[in-house]
Amino acid sequence: MVTFTLNGREIELEVDPETPLLWVLRDHLQLMGTRFGCGMGLCGACTVHLDGTAIRSCSTPLAMAAGRSVTTIEGLGGNHPLQHAWVEHNVPQCGYCQSGQIMSAAALLAANPQPDEESIRQAMSGNLCRCGTYHKVQQAILSAAAVAQWQPAGEDAS
Amino acid sequence: MSLTRRQFIRNVSVAGGALTLGFQLTGCSGKPLQLGSEADFQPNAFLRIEPDGTVILQIPKAEMGQGVITGMVTLVAEELEVHPSRIDYAMAPVHSAFGDPEMRLQITGGSASIRVYHEILRQVGASARETLVAAAMQQSGLDRASLEAREGRVRSVDGSVDLGYAELVPVARTLAVVSDVALKSTDQWRWIGRYDQRVDAVVKTDGSARFGMDANPEGCLTAVLLRCPWFDGGVESFEAVEALSLPGVVAVFATEFGVAVVAEGYWPARQAAGKVQVNFTPPGGGLRDSATISAALDAALDGEDFASVRDEPATVAVEQGTRVSARYAVPFLAHAAMEPLNATCRLTADGCEVWVGSQAPDLAQDVASRVLGVPREAVVIHNQFLGGGFGRRAAADNVAEVVAIARELKRPVKLVWSREDDMRHDWYRPAMAGAIEARVHPDGRVSHWQHRIAGPSINQQVLPVMMGAMLPQWVPGGPRQWVGDFVGKKDFASVEGSKELPYAFDGVSVSYRNVPVPIPLGYWRSVGHSHNAFVVESFVDELAHAAGIDPLDFRRQHLPEASRHRRVLDAVAKAANWGNAPPGRFQGIAVHDSFHSCVAEVVEVSQVDGKVQLEHVYCAIDCGQVINPDIVKDQMIGGIVFALSAALHGEITLKDGAVEQSNYHDYPLLRQTDTPPMTVVLVESSAPPTGVGEPGTPPAAPALANALFAATGERQRRLPLRLG
Ligand code: FES
Ligand code: FES
Repeated sequence: MVTFTLNGREIELEVDPETPLLWVLRDHLQLMGTRFGCGMGLCGACTVHLDGTAIRSCSTPLAMAAGRSVTTIEGLGGNHPLQHAWVEHNVPQCGYCQSGQIMSAAALLAANPQPDEESIRQAMSGNLCRCGTYHKVQQAILSAAAVAQWQPAGEDAS
Repeated sequence: MSLTRRQFIRNVSVAGGALTLGFQLTGCSGKPLQLGSEADFQPNAFLRIEPDGTVILQIPKAEMGQGVITGMVTLVAEELEVHPSRIDYAMAPVHSAFGDPEMRLQITGGSASIRVYHEILRQVGASARETLVAAAMQQSGLDRASLEAREGRVRSVDGSVDLGYAELVPVARTLAVVSDVALKSTDQWRWIGRYDQRVDAVVKTDGSARFGMDANPEGCLTAVLLRCPWFDGGVESFEAVEALSLPGVVAVFATEFGVAVVAEGYWPARQAAGKVQVNFTPPGGGLRDSATISAALDAALDGEDFASVRDEPATVAVEQGTRVSARYAVPFLAHAAMEPLNATCRLTADGCEVWVGSQAPDLAQDVASRVLGVPREAVVIHNQFLGGGFGRRAAADNVAEVVAIARELKRPVKLVWSREDDMRHDWYRPAMAGAIEARVHPDGRVSHWQHRIAGPSINQQVLPVMMGAMLPQWVPGGPRQWVGDFVGKKDFASVEGSKELPYAFDGVSVSYRNVPVPIPLGYWRSVGHSHNAFVVESFVDELAHAAGIDPLDFRRQHLPEASRHRRVLDAVAKAANWGNAPPGRFQGIAVHDSFHSCVAEVVEVSQVDGKVQLEHVYCAIDCGQVINPDIVKDQMIGGIVFALSAALHGEITLKDGAVEQSNYHDYPLLRQTDTPPMTVVLVESSAPPTGVGEPGTPPAAPALANALFAATGERQRRLPLRLG
């Protein structure tokens, strides 16, 4: 039995604790917004927050989440300044990488609310986009950073 | 797709007696379409308005990031007089009404969607609008001139009548659809060329967009498949005792495509797959290693047996100029879309349902029906968002596999490819080799351009499969393969972008030699242009340097004055401040016409202590009228990132018939930190819209190679390129 907080709600699961969090989210909890891209921590498509830090859920066993707080793209709620900026800048093309991009960006802004272009590039370098939306990702983060501070509903204040 | 390919496919369709009219405003041949309810106003296959005013557009093309939904919605919105954000969309089912009018398949490719549909969809919107207005006329007794349609309402000029489309649906649905409506003139457009949002942006930022990977019918299990690593082998035997003992594992069995491991979720399936021992049939002979394939292609260049695809004799004697010659080579490439391949199947009473993100849902339907042994009509395809396509999702091997698994399992099942499966079982961009020579004359003129291309033919492999979906199913495979073999001799996909050499050189010959390889081949963003632009535009650069003329001037000199090539070259040169690169910066230029659009690019690099770095990419495109400027720019940038990933890193190699690469560490893509700033210029045009999904890709590799030559003095003629 593993207990953790998911998008602000306490949940209990009877799942092999070695199962990567990605597959717990997708296969057991039907939260499909977190994507499978490489399974090796190379692409960032599966990025979620663990106690506010961006992690690769494909390479994080469920056991690691025990007693901690997990936030997925669904937990950002749709009103995060980044999500608005993403829509305003038309960032997504195919869209497959974008949950991961947004979750990485959200962790970045939480840690560094006014990042410069170089810190954005560095922070986002783990998120591949085969469609090549990198410039738009950067523009959207810069414009979201200009918006007031924001705290996601399901996230710890850490 | 090139015009020739389309024409060819059309001819095949006619010859086979399977010609179906892909577009009919008022109905369709064959099985009638069942969309929505009786109470809806449905003037044609594409559009329906429900009694509550909801407008739903059927999208006949796959959305793989190129923005086709937004483009199509905008075109309809313009004439329907409904704001684009108020039109809902759905992925069209497989039906003859949604077949591409040029390609005869419901296929998304060749950067053709907007070029083919821009007028049709405006007509779709216009005839619906006029029918709604006719309903308002009937309801109000006013004449046409007194009424105006705007923002989803029909109003009278004097303000006495003000009816929402919803209120007009009950009458409109009983009227004859008004057809042949005059379309708005360009200066009346409100959204075409101006609307700057993507209608699918919200669902792609809140996690709710549904890709093939997210299909989840009731009781769905997950399968992974163990395929033979070499492409000409199969399963001989397997042993799965330990795998079957693992928790969550439901079944392990062989299919014609490999050993399926089925479990309650991906993780237990993948874990169990690691415990299955499979003996594969021994590999065959022939070309099985990258080194032997490269050598074979190079040797083929020296042989005879080339098929001429263009032959214009020179008017001057060959002795007069200086001979310049070179050989080029490009490797196999994988598509590596972010969403690994997958497909989901549920058996039904007479057939099956398949959930998949497909560029060719009717091909998927045909393939599924063959595997299951049922008529095509017994297969329902639910097309989903595609997590990248780039040509890979025009194939339906994933669909064949999942249907075979469901056929044995008899329960709903989702097949998930790992990234490794996706990398090792792609339909690859073929490796190609080229020998090219020309004579440069003292005054800069060029004569005796001769380009020989050797490499495998994509269409020899792919056309027989596609024709399976175009022809009646009783047509056996033999004749289809015969057509593939025949087309393979002069495959247009092998020579596109070389054959159409735009320069006014004196004497041009282009020829091709098919060198078959036992490796699956497919369309890769820009297809033949992806390698031919590299060879042609690199070699033109070599000629410019041999002539001692600036590469931009040299190109301009040999291009017709009013050509689109000249216009995009001038536009990109201006944006890049060509010829005035800052100290330590070096520029390379290339221009290429593909999918009816013309694109020029300048790559600017810096060199410090022998280390070369990308600094900026400039791009100018002429794609006719622009529907959505922001999406066109994004397609250029995305196409360039795609091309530069390949130009700098892309190489699929084979050992003992199997692909050596497996994931993004050994098949790297450009990352945020590697991608230079880019500037895109849209050259104004009043011509009808042409392709944008692919044309940004071809010029980038040669522009980079030319910039590297400017920086280092070394000419690199093999992809991928080395930076310093
Ligand atoms: S799927 Fe986790 S990093 Fe790629
Ligand atoms: S938007 Fe397609 S992979 Fe990033």
